[in-house]
Amino acid sequence: MNIVERSAIPSGALMLFGFPDVGLVGVIAAEHLVSELNLTEVAYMESKLLPPLIVLHDGLPHSSIRIFGNNKILLAVSETPIPADIIYPIVYALVDWGKRKNVKVMISLSGIPVQDRQDLKELKVFAAASNQNTLKLAQDKGIETLLEGYMVGPQAVLLQRCAKIDLPALTLMSQCFFNYPDPEAAAEVLKSLANVTGVKVDVGKLLEKGEEIRMKARDVMQRTQQEMSKMKKTQELDLPMYVS
Amino acid sequence: MAIKKKRQTRDEIDEYRENVDEWIEQFEKTLLERPSWNKTTSSIEPLRGVKVTPTEVVVTADLPLTKEKAVQVKPLDDRTLEISAKMTRKVRFKELGIIHHEGEFHMFYCHTHIPVPVHMDKMKVKFKKGMLEVHLPRKHEQVVLKEKK
Repeated sequence: MNIVERSAIPSGALMLFGFPDVGLVGVIAAEHLVSELNLTEVAYMESKLLPPLIVLHDGLPHSSIRIFGNNKILLAVSETPIPADIIYPIVYALVDWGKRKNVKVMISLSGIPVQDRQDLKELKVFAAASNQNTLKLAQDKGIETLLEGYMVGPQAVLLQRCAKIDLPALTLMSQCFFNYPDPEAAAEVLKSLANVTGVKVDVGKLLEKGEEIRMKARDVMQRTQQEMSKMKKTQELDLPMYVS
Repeated sequence: MAIKKKRQTRDEIDEYRENVDEWIEQFEKTLLERPSWNKTTSSIEPLRGVKVTPTEVVVTADLPLTKEKAVQVKPLDDRTLEISAKMTRKVRFKELGIIHHEGEFHMFYCHTHIPVPVHMDKMKVKFKKGMLEVHLPRKHEQVVLKEKK
């Protein structure tokens, strides 16, 4: 795994993650952040472990995993689902790179699937963190803690790795659909991000474009679902057996 | 007691068949991977899901850019449901940044296999914010067994 830097990387930035997952919450939120904050590509990931795939933008090749940023924020985004069997090396590489850049805190934006999503009028956002102090950041802002349960996917590996190397990390998860793109959930997670970090964006535009986003995100969602199935994502809905 | 046991066995068989159907569907998807859109019919397949509960089968489909009155849900036979919905506007490939294919789509279309027997005639349809939900009560063919004396 190699992270190629295209421009100077700020030290002490806030590092965010938006990876394809339930409801594509992270990717939709990340895409909106890039567009609203005019973030530019500052680095990208290259590895022979990644699928033989490039993303073409304006006729030029780009890695599917890129880091956007400005002088305060770094945002790692994957435009295609990350194959289940390479989540560990990818997340480890990104976290270790962030540590070398003296990142202050890492925050992954994601979703938590709920069965009655369609009937919910308000979506709750939950948090989990790599240590108690970081968890308190969210709790102090009124964000509920995901107390017990299983977490599966990139954000799970991120929390585990950050806990091990003592890097503050937080995962913000909005209630969402499991297998349908959910722009409303992405808007909720962005509101919580603003609440915790002060990074504010207008989510009104995101909600206005909701149906268009659902249409465009259809195929990415389907492929993400296939990868989620391989990593047994539905385990997040399992009843936990407590071992203390 | 005997009725309860019979029903439990039937549910277990249904669940097994459901798992096999799901496996076949996944296998077919892998084997016959194809685009989600059909240029000839200007249609795109919606994302959809099927959930089996003890009392009903719930089919959901994501139908953005559609209105309730444009959605049609029709049983093709006792185990297949056809869903179609005209969009509020045509979506051209060009709008999605695709210029190497010419074309557009203006409707969602798919048919979905129902994994267990249901009462198609008692189908109930809900539509909210472009999300379709079809509820089909399950058929439980109960056999009443006489207890041995």
